Amino acid sequence: MPQLDFSIFPSQFFWLCVSFFLMLFIMSKFIIPKTAEMINLRKAKIDADLAAAEELKQKVEKTLEKYNQALKKASDEANASLQKTRDELNATIERRQQELTQELNAEIAAGEKKIAAAKQKALGNVEAMVEELTPLVLKKIGFAKVSAKEIQTALKMTENK
Amino acid sequence: MSNPMEQFVVKPIVPIEVGGIDISFTNSALFMMLAVAVSTLLFALCLRKRTLVPSIAQSVPETIYEFISSLLRENVGVEGLKYFPFIFTVFLFVAFGNLLGLFPYAFTFTSHLTAVGSLSLIALAFNVLIGIRKKKIGWLRTFMPRGIPMALAPLIVPIEMISFLSKPFSLTVRLVANMTVGHIMLKIIAGFVAALGVLGFIPVLFNCCIVCFEIFIALLQAFIYTVLSCIYLGDALHEH
Repeated sequence: MPQLDFSIFPSQFFWLCVSFFLMLFIMSKFIIPKTAEMINLRKAKIDADLAAAEELKQKVEKTLEKYNQALKKASDEANASLQKTRDELNATIERRQQELTQELNAEIAAGEKKIAAAKQKALGNVEAMVEELTPLVLKKIGFAKVSAKEIQTALKMTENK
Repeated sequence: MSNPMEQFVVKPIVPIEVGGIDISFTNSALFMMLAVAVSTLLFALCLRKRTLVPSIAQSVPETIYEFISSLLRENVGVEGLKYFPFIFTVFLFVAFGNLLGLFPYAFTFTSHLTAVGSLSLIALAFNVLIGIRKKKIGWLRTFMPRGIPMALAPLIVPIEMISFLSKPFSLTVRLVANMTVGHIMLKIIAGFVAALGVLGFIPVLFNCCIVCFEIFIALLQAFIYTVLSCIYLGDALHEH
């Protein structure tokens, strides 16, 4: 078998070393860097794109959060303003109601006073009329000599009863 | 019928002798050089126009690149990527040596013990060098793993030494045997073509199938040679 002929070993060894190291040199100096360059560029590009996508996603999330916050704030403000208006309206209504009640009460009081005055006046008149009429009535029925003082005392007694 | 071993004969093309040692430029050396030239040319052609999105041609070296680097990462680890050019060259050298040998009238230097043995010796020397560089004197632990009682040293050290030296030997024999057998088979079956006369087309068809199979074997053996080199490199870098 020619494969087992070891007399060719020096030549084989020498030329294998020459060709192998030549190839190692060519590969490591030219072919591998050229290949790696593009692979690394591509990887860098993909990584950069992924990073940019991630960044955009975060931006979107942040914007969404801001939007939600703004929405919440606006809604809160609207609710607050609504509540304020409602409170104001309630306060106004109450105040008006109170005012009206007071006015009405005052009017009622004034009316009652008037009525009381009128009644007093009317009652006073009745007394006077009684005082005036009584002697006349008594005279007619025969009791001529009843003094005005007696009549007044009698009247007072009736009233007190 | 011609002798099927004839294809393996190494013939000097340019006789050179230095200090009494015959280092003639032989047909074997020619094909080693051709492997270098063809692989370089092919890769240079593939990498002529490089774009971010690779063309089909550009993806060939890139695929091999990714393949070897993943091989290194799996078998040696990330630190193994330092030795990427070496493993990359080993793979291409063996693969092109195998593939070029499949051309008619070509010489297959990977079917020679002396040639592949030399390559394995280079790989061995490389492993020893980086092993010593990394572990310094601790590299000698390769022959005397930790946790083994000193009394067993006379037994363990020779065994480990034999196992260490048998690695390049098994690497070499595996590749050489595969290449030799394939080529002998091709030659013998090709011999039948003339012998069978009109029916000669049958061995021709058969040979066509074998050539396809041999292409597969050529790449597979290059792959196996590379994987085992990676594993031995890993052994040299890590303690086992």
